[in-house]
Order: sequence, then structure tokens, then C-alpha cells
Amino acid sequence: MTALPTPARTIQALLRGYFPRLLQVRGWVCALIVVLPVALSFGLATILRLQQMNFGSAEILTVFHKVLAQLALPILVLVAAPAGIREDLEQRTLPLMLTRPAQAWLLPFGKGLLWFGWGGVWIVASVAGLGGLGAELASLPLMAAALLAAFWAELGFMTFLSLVFKRGTLWGALYLLIWDPLVRIFPGNLQRITFLHYIESIAGSRGSSVGTSQLLAQEQISTPWPLAILVFVLFGILCWAASGWKLQTTPIGLAGTEAEG
Amino acid sequence: MSPTVSLQRASLRYGDILGLSPTTFELPEGGGITGLLGPNGAGKSTLIQLLSGLLPPSGGEVRIFGEAPFRNPQVLSRLGFVPEGDRFPTGLRGIPWLRMMGELSGLRGSGLQGAMERALSVVGMELNGRKPFSEMSKGMRQRMRLAQALLHNPEFLLLDEPFNGMDPEARLLLMDMLRSLATAGRRILVSSHILGEVAQLTDRILLLFRGRLLAEGSVAEIRELLDRHPVELRIGAESAQAVARWAVEHDELVALRMEEAGAVLAVRNPRSFLPKLQAAVLAGELPLLSLDPLDLNLDAVFQFLTKDHA
Repeated sequence: MTALPTPARTIQALLRGYFPRLLQVRGWVCALIVVLPVALSFGLATILRLQQMNFGSAEILTVFHKVLAQLALPILVLVAAPAGIREDLEQRTLPLMLTRPAQAWLLPFGKGLLWFGWGGVWIVASVAGLGGLGAELASLPLMAAALLAAFWAELGFMTFLSLVFKRGTLWGALYLLIWDPLVRIFPGNLQRITFLHYIESIAGSRGSSVGTSQLLAQEQISTPWPLAILVFVLFGILCWAASGWKLQTTPIGLAGTEAEG
Repeated sequence: MSPTVSLQRASLRYGDILGLSPTTFELPEGGGITGLLGPNGAGKSTLIQLLSGLLPPSGGEVRIFGEAPFRNPQVLSRLGFVPEGDRFPTGLRGIPWLRMMGELSGLRGSGLQGAMERALSVVGMELNGRKPFSEMSKGMRQRMRLAQALLHNPEFLLLDEPFNGMDPEARLLLMDMLRSLATAGRRILVSSHILGEVAQLTDRILLLFRGRLLAEGSVAEIRELLDRHPVELRIGAESAQAVARWAVEHDELVALRMEEAGAVLAVRNPRSFLPKLQAAVLAGELPLLSLDPLDLNLDAVFQFLTKDHA
């Protein structure tokens, strides 16, 4: 009888085994989602500067908050998360993995970690691109940290939803694309149950961009950035753990769906 | 000595639907092949899901090597499983996927490399293993699924409808492979809905029907039960009357129906009836043009068995 695989070896096996998936269409789409906005901004900035117009820090902040944080990141999560454990569930290959002696609870995290790493690389590249656009260099580490921590938490959240609900991706999309942007009109502590609140707390407020035209806009609250990072990290750990627990305890039959045992 | 498999009134419900009625049986320790036979929807895959640890029983007890298999790495490290259906991971190649499955079984280094080479050689995929799954034939993918089940040298091998979609040559190869694994001490359970397939492999059969273990015994015992099932044969002949005249003289005849171009005979014990038919044709007693068995499918046999033994 062979020795049982340790958690580290299980994760290592998943990272190595599924690595080729990163270099296929979905992987490059993920990269494009975060890199393209910055690349386009480069083009736009060049045109504006050629016409003696300004593309300064206000515009860079808009690219970060309005495009990267509010749009590109949720889309990245929605594209990357289904490639995690949900993919094995849908293509009915999960039973092959569940009948191995590796711990089942590690499977969602192991596969998710691969996509987190891949997305993370492109997020960092994208934020570095903002530096090239003229963003203050001192603000870049916190911008990158905000997006990375949010990606970690949102990917874990989506993975958990995809294991709990058949239409987990839809619920996740509603949360990230409908609920989260409402942070501007949420009063007080309600802002704390959005991802954007913590991203803005880490990367710096974009409160100045709330104009008088936004009649419903509420006073923006803030969370100290180290605490905001901690919230993201802990929330992510909680979601990955819950996903592992769900897979460990849920009977999943040959059909790939949850069986009522 | 504890049995490899032990079920004590194990049952499984899918919501309100009973997938497997309380079932009790044991498979002894040591090598050998057992066939799990039943028509589609009989509960074979349900039973296999219980044995492979994918699903826990709704009632009763399932023990593999003395332990409950559901999410139990100790049991799973001694079990190999080939699920039914053409399932494969998209975007991956055979050998890297096999390496991952080996690592997920606790293999590493030279042990893993050796195990992969052995498994690929057993299933005859040394040359085609590097291909992406999407470029492999159905038979190749089935062999890769078998290779992943053999990687960690399991003592108990579970195969769910492994012959589906395989060409006759591949089928014979797989049968040879399973026989040699059983000789080498593996306990193997193979499910199928085709009696002929199972009978070529093993002498021990579990018969499942409508979620119930109907019979357990040797192929000879099962064949004896099947012989009592009247089989319908359509005999095309120049003269239907001649067929009828010949048939009524034989004890195996249960019923006779005349048709325009021949007759339909319902006969018991076709294994003794068919040689007589053949002899009569050769002797020129019977002007036979064609012979079609009408209900030799397993479903009809099971219908008969359940009526007789319910």
C-alpha cells in the first residue's frame, strides 16, 4: 500500500496537473481582462497627450476604481472560478478525483490556487502598467494589494457559491456586478458587506469622484487598510474552507451533481 | 479473515426514489472476478457508487476492507475505480493527467514513474498516452481511465460497464487483462448489462434488477434460470406449416404463432432446442430461410426472473 498523499503534495499535484489549462483560451482571456484596460488607457493617454490634453492622476484613479476594481476584477473572477472545481463537476471528472486517496477538502483550494496565482500575476502586471501611465509610485503597492486581496476573497466566494448552488456563477455575477457597485448609495455599515468598500479602503478613497449629480450618494465610510486586507484574507480562507467542507461532506455521484444520499 | 467487500442491508435513496433496496452480500478476500449483471436502470451504478465511496448508504452498512469507504483515504488507497461513460478532463494530455492521478494517490519519484510505465503498458497506451484526450479515440480514453485505476496497484478494482463502446478486439484485450489481474490476486467487480460479456470473464455473478439483488451464483446457475425463460424465435420458411409440424413434436415448444412467411416459436431451453433445429435443417426436414431471436435481450430475461422469483 502506498503512503497517503500529504496536503502539500496534493496541492502540488493539482497545480502541476492543471497548469496546462492556464496556457489555453480561458487562461489568456483572464490575462486579457485585466491587462487590456490598462493597455487601452496607454493608447488613450498617448492620443490625449498628442493633442495637448491631460491624462493625469484623476484619470488613472478612474481606470483603477471604475474599470479595474469595479469591472475587470469581477469579470476575471467570473471567468476563472468556473475553471476551478466546478469544471470537474460539470465535465463529470470529479468522481475520478474523489476516488483517489487524497483529501477531498483540498481539491477546491488546490485548483483555485492555480487560478489565483495566474490572475495575480496579471493583476500585478496591470497595476505596474498604471505606474507607466503616470500613477504615483508610492500608491502602486497598495493598489496591487487591494486587487490581489480582493481577487483572493472573490475567487473563494465564487468557488463556494458554485459548490452550493447549481447556478452559483449567476448568483456570484449578481453579487459582484449588481450589489457591489451599490456601495455608493449604501448607508453606513452596509458598505462593509461589499468588496469595493475594502478595495477602496486599501487603495485609497475615490470619494472625490462622487459628484453632486449622484443624488443618492452616501457618506463614504472607511476601514483602516491593514484591517481591510485582513478582512479579505480571512474571508477568502473562510470561503475556501467552506468549499472544502462542502465537497468533503456532500455525496457527489457519477452524474457529477450532488446526489441525495 | 475479513471479506474484501461486505454489504449489510445497504440501501440508497435518491430523494423519494429507491436506487438500491436493502442489499446484503460479501466478496471474499483474494483474487477473482465477480460480474455485476442487470439491465439498464437495475441499480448497478448505484451499487458501484456505494462501493467506490462516492456515495454513503442511506441505510445499512457498506464495508470495504472492513471500513466505510465514503471519503475514506485508507480504503481509497486500496481501491481502483473505472466509472462508466466517456468522461475526460478537457484541455489535458493523457500522461500528465495520469501523473497527477498518481500523485493524488500518494505515488512520487521513481515509484510514480514505474507505476505509470506499468499501467500504460498493461492498457497498451505507451505510444498514444501523450495525446490530448480530445484527440484520443473513445477506446483510448477508456484505456486511460483503466490505467489511472491500476496506477496505485489496488487490491480491489471496480469497473462500471467497461466494455461499452469498445471494439471487439479491445474488448478481448481488456478481458485478458482483467483475467491476469485476478490471477495476480486482485478482487475485481465488473458491471455489465450483457450476460455474454460477463460469462466470458467470470464464474461468479450478482444479478440486480430494479434496485434489488435478485440472485447470486455461478454462471451455470444463472444459465439454468435463463433456460427456463421461453425465448421467441422467428423462423422464416417456405412453408410455415412444415415448421409448425416439426416444432410441435418437441417438448421445448411453449407457444406457436403462424405468420405469412414462417412461424414464431416460443421455446424453453434454447440450448437443447437450437441443436435439434440445426440438425433438422441440415437433414433437409425443415425448409428454413431465416432465424431471428426476438427477445434474447437481458431485460426480457429479467422480467421473467422477477415474475418467477419475486
